[in-house]
Amino acid sequence: MDRIDRLREEIARRESELADLKSQLAIAEAARTTPLEPKDDPSWPWPLRHDEYQRYGRQMVVPGFGLQAQLRLKRSSVLIVGAGGLGCPAAAYLAGAGIGTLGLVDADEVEASNLHRQIAHSTGREGMSKVLSAVTYLRDLNPTIRYKTHQEHLTPRNAQDIVSQYDLVLDCTDHPTSRYLISDICVLLSKPLVSASAFQTSGQLAVLNNPPGKGACYRCLFPKPPPPESVVGCGEGGIVGPVVGVMGVLQALEAIKLVVHGLLDKPAGDAEKVERPEQGQGQQRMLIFNAMGDGPSFRSVRLKGRRSGCLACSDESELTLDRLRTSIDYVQFCGVARPVDVLEPHERITAKEYDNVRSSGVPHLLLDVREREHFSIGSMPGAINVPISCFNRREELPEVAGKDGPIYVVCRLGNDSQLAVRKLRERGFDDGNRFVGDITGGVKAWRDTVDPRLPFL
Amino acid sequence: MTSVPKPPQGHFNVLYFASASSYTGKEHEALPAPLPLRTLFAELEAKYPGVKANVLDSCMVTVNLDYVDMSGDGAADAVVIQEADEVAIIPPVSSG
Repeated sequence: MDRIDRLREEIARRESELADLKSQLAIAEAARTTPLEPKDDPSWPWPLRHDEYQRYGRQMVVPGFGLQAQLRLKRSSVLIVGAGGLGCPAAAYLAGAGIGTLGLVDADEVEASNLHRQIAHSTGREGMSKVLSAVTYLRDLNPTIRYKTHQEHLTPRNAQDIVSQYDLVLDCTDHPTSRYLISDICVLLSKPLVSASAFQTSGQLAVLNNPPGKGACYRCLFPKPPPPESVVGCGEGGIVGPVVGVMGVLQALEAIKLVVHGLLDKPAGDAEKVERPEQGQGQQRMLIFNAMGDGPSFRSVRLKGRRSGCLACSDESELTLDRLRTSIDYVQFCGVARPVDVLEPHERITAKEYDNVRSSGVPHLLLDVREREHFSIGSMPGAINVPISCFNRREELPEVAGKDGPIYVVCRLGNDSQLAVRKLRERGFDDGNRFVGDITGGVKAWRDTVDPRLPFL
Repeated sequence: MTSVPKPPQGHFNVLYFASASSYTGKEHEALPAPLPLRTLFAELEAKYPGVKANVLDSCMVTVNLDYVDMSGDGAADAVVIQEADEVAIIPPVSSG
């Protein structure tokens, strides 16, 4: 295993170097081979280069697009925060469409578990920085636009520096802390924000702070963050690839519309500026995508503009760039999920101790309270699946009723199992001297200390 | 969710999205109308203990596809949910 790990590291390091060299080469080649920009070539009478008419022609002939739309796209700069399930498809379509400058922010590296949905990455680039991996893919798609890489997390400290370099921002991140930070910085810097998210089989999309100073921001819609215990990422909760893909593609579409409609044109000093069309300035909406059920369904709800009293964008707001940088703690605002700690030590046993119970042959019940899908992937011998949601909904528990012997409860990591033990007690299943307790550390601990071959996610 | 049946007479539909759906175990249900919007959360809390703090307090709410401000001095006080209305409970989804 050590040798394999070493080799992987070495390959990742060299691939990262190689990607960097390729980026440098692409930039150098682009500088050498890209024809002169029309403004620098007196012999070329047209506003776009020859290769641009070829590359972008199919979108330029669409009614409502034309030359002006393409020039606007070429002049625009778009920042994509997060090079994951949303950011990959969004970046692909924006690069393809000829956005002038495309910036990517992400501090993570490519993992095998990303590949079913994060289409800009590849198996060969596992371990590489997501930003560099995505740019490798994007350069292959369209080497003629400018890419800027920010291989770091967006933070209160660097947000102003990074975001101020762009006209428009796409929130393709995966956590409430980044969603509030991105919204706040966009409000402060007057940047429209195309926000999307996806989880399991559903997604949300909204164009926020648009037009800046008028449209609702993320805090208007969700002034209170969800309880940290309820925030489940794609790692545990799962995500269907095309669902997040759809949302990312829709983000690219909304970004293209904003640019093409001229909504980002600077009010002053822009010779080609035309009257801002009404189109796109109308009712602000949130789109909700539900992929399952009888068929795919989109629901569009009407928003109400800025919310009075909004912490970020209302007239009374005291949010400033200085305060954002120095004194807003987004982690504290969103809260941190603390491990559940409601059981006494005598109500808990380790995975190894449970292994002894099992070998001793004492009749007992082993309840696995993970959701059915996690259970289906791999479970401990003899475990019965009663998902924690059944407890929460106060459903009957035929699996437990009428059975004798001690009850051992197990979940993924040892949090829900404690809550389930509490609920079993509340419902009187601990009658007599019966043991009702849980396995510390969950199925993960069983995998780590007893059966390393157990598939576990 | 595509085919939410019409609510029976004297009822309105409430739609549950994302974590609201997983908490209640339902995608939608019909509740008796009229109902002041301010009392909806208490009504749901009685049916699904814990749902208010765990889900509803951070949700966006729409009535007939229109956003309603549920925060402290928001507009929700004036709203009474009527028969055949459609209320949607929309939790923030943050992952991507």
